[in-house]
Amino acid sequence: MNWKDNVISRALKGAGFTFVLLLEAIGHSTQLWHRRRAIFTQMHVIGTQSIPIASFFMLLIGMVFALQVGIEFARFGQTNLVGLVIVAAMVRELGPWMTGFVLIARVGSSMAAEIGTMRVAEEIDALEVMSINPASFVVMPRIVAYSIMGPVLTVVGTLVGIIGGGIVSNLQLGVTWADYLRFAEDGAEALDIYWGLLKSFVFSIAAASVACASGMKTEGGAVGVGRASRNTVVLSLTLVVFFNYLLTSFYRIVKMFVSGVI
Amino acid sequence: MSGSPKLAVQFDGVSKLLAGRQILDKLSFDVRQGETFVIIGYSGTGKSVTLRHMVGLMPPDEGSIRVENEEITTMSRRELEIMRRKFGVLFQSGALIAWLSLFENVELPLVEHTKMSRKKRAEIVQQKLEIVNLWQDREKYPAEISGGMKKRAGLARALALDPGIVLYDEPTSGLDPVIANEIDKLINRLKREHNMTQIVVTHDMDSAFEIGDRIGMFYKGSMIQIGTPEEIQTSTVPEVQHFITGGREGALSRRATTAIIRGVAPGMLSQRSLEAIKAEAPVATAEPGYVLLSEEEAEAAGVAPAEEPDFPTERDLAPEETEGPVETATQKPEPESLEPEESDT
Repeated sequence: MNWKDNVISRALKGAGFTFVLLLEAIGHSTQLWHRRRAIFTQMHVIGTQSIPIASFFMLLIGMVFALQVGIEFARFGQTNLVGLVIVAAMVRELGPWMTGFVLIARVGSSMAAEIGTMRVAEEIDALEVMSINPASFVVMPRIVAYSIMGPVLTVVGTLVGIIGGGIVSNLQLGVTWADYLRFAEDGAEALDIYWGLLKSFVFSIAAASVACASGMKTEGGAVGVGRASRNTVVLSLTLVVFFNYLLTSFYRIVKMFVSGVI
Repeated sequence: MSGSPKLAVQFDGVSKLLAGRQILDKLSFDVRQGETFVIIGYSGTGKSVTLRHMVGLMPPDEGSIRVENEEITTMSRRELEIMRRKFGVLFQSGALIAWLSLFENVELPLVEHTKMSRKKRAEIVQQKLEIVNLWQDREKYPAEISGGMKKRAGLARALALDPGIVLYDEPTSGLDPVIANEIDKLINRLKREHNMTQIVVTHDMDSAFEIGDRIGMFYKGSMIQIGTPEEIQTSTVPEVQHFITGGREGALSRRATTAIIRGVAPGMLSQRSLEAIKAEAPVATAEPGYVLLSEEEAEAAGVAPAEEPDFPTERDLAPEETEGPVETATQKPEPESLEPEESDT
């Protein structure tokens, strides 16, 4: 057996395991009410506690983006249009995947480590012996909480990013708030906003499933937990950029269909 | 089955290959209802794997496993879930859920599997935590308590649903002699008062002789001898002899020669009297114990210093001789070929 077979078969096995775990967790969503306490706890950890860092990131990204766009638009005397570009980019792209990145770094890695530690400390086995399905007790609340809070954080992050862009436009580029907001309105329509949220929802489910699956598959003590955490970050980021491309391609088709081009 | 004593668990020709190693090799044994059956054997040879097979966490490659006369190897996942409720399992580390308090941990099986009122649940949790003497610590979280307390809390949780069979995976490993004795007493009490079938995996021989109705020696994937503690103690099977004496001439009690001394630097030991050291000996700690005695003290206590400790001592690390005549007597050494404790897979 050469290494290629190995890598490919392992990747497929991993993908299969992750997908089955996700389906199993969805199957257990009948227990949403029963697990409400765990879900709320996770929503707090994943969402509420991530707001400061996500906001900080998005604020600065909005500010830098406004500066760069401002430099180019100044050449054509169109600095007033900065708001339009910022909003379009924030809602469609930067908002969903930058908050996705922040969540993976802050939450995905620790989720994998937490579940991995449970695995090596025999806690997962203990649950199974008590006939408590870990997919219901551990995985489902995390995936549900993540997929709710991902889009919520995206909304928060996008708004903060737009505000950041506005601050820089106003203070450094000399655009009035009235102009910024007037053109900002043209930057995004309803479809864009929904699409951004859809992206964020998909990223969240992907990242949460990968984190839970890596954690559940952990073996080999502390080293294994470290590996699970690292693999989670790498794989989740890869999935986010990959899904982002797919969803944007699909978005283009939908957009053309809506505007009557096709 | 026609045998007179009712059987709780039967293994018949069970084999399992894991990572290219034949972990279980046509393993066969019976556990009778109401008895304490102790499985002894070297670390990392598959004793825990045997327990996993018993509760259906691992399927065997071949052979039959019956629990209260029901074949479990052919059960569906759902049937296994129901079957497992007959078992309470105490894992090596306690395996408490980290984000739940002790109270909630013990309550967990009740919340998941019964429709009891909150008040009724609280009563049961109190009763179980009182058995293991942890009711006063019910609000604490697993990270805040010692290894011994975790094991006791794990036991309380294992007992929550009043299982007929309780499995213990090394209940006394990593505990100091006093707590280990308490766990032994608890196991005996559960048998006496609740008539529970108990299956204990251990390599603590003092514990095995103290609690076992029957002891099975697990070696190379199967049971090489099953018998009463007396039969095992007087066994003529060389592997059993070697194991129960810890590879030494004559049976030595591990706990009698084991003490744990904390917070004392080796150089200071020679100035302390044996009485002082003895008085300090049973200090609770999660680490495996060893004795640090000077030569005269070791002689007085009748402890033969080990020839070569299997971990570096201060003397090995320091280039020059340390001042005091400090002898390091390790606790009962494990057989050379095998890893020390804890790595039971």
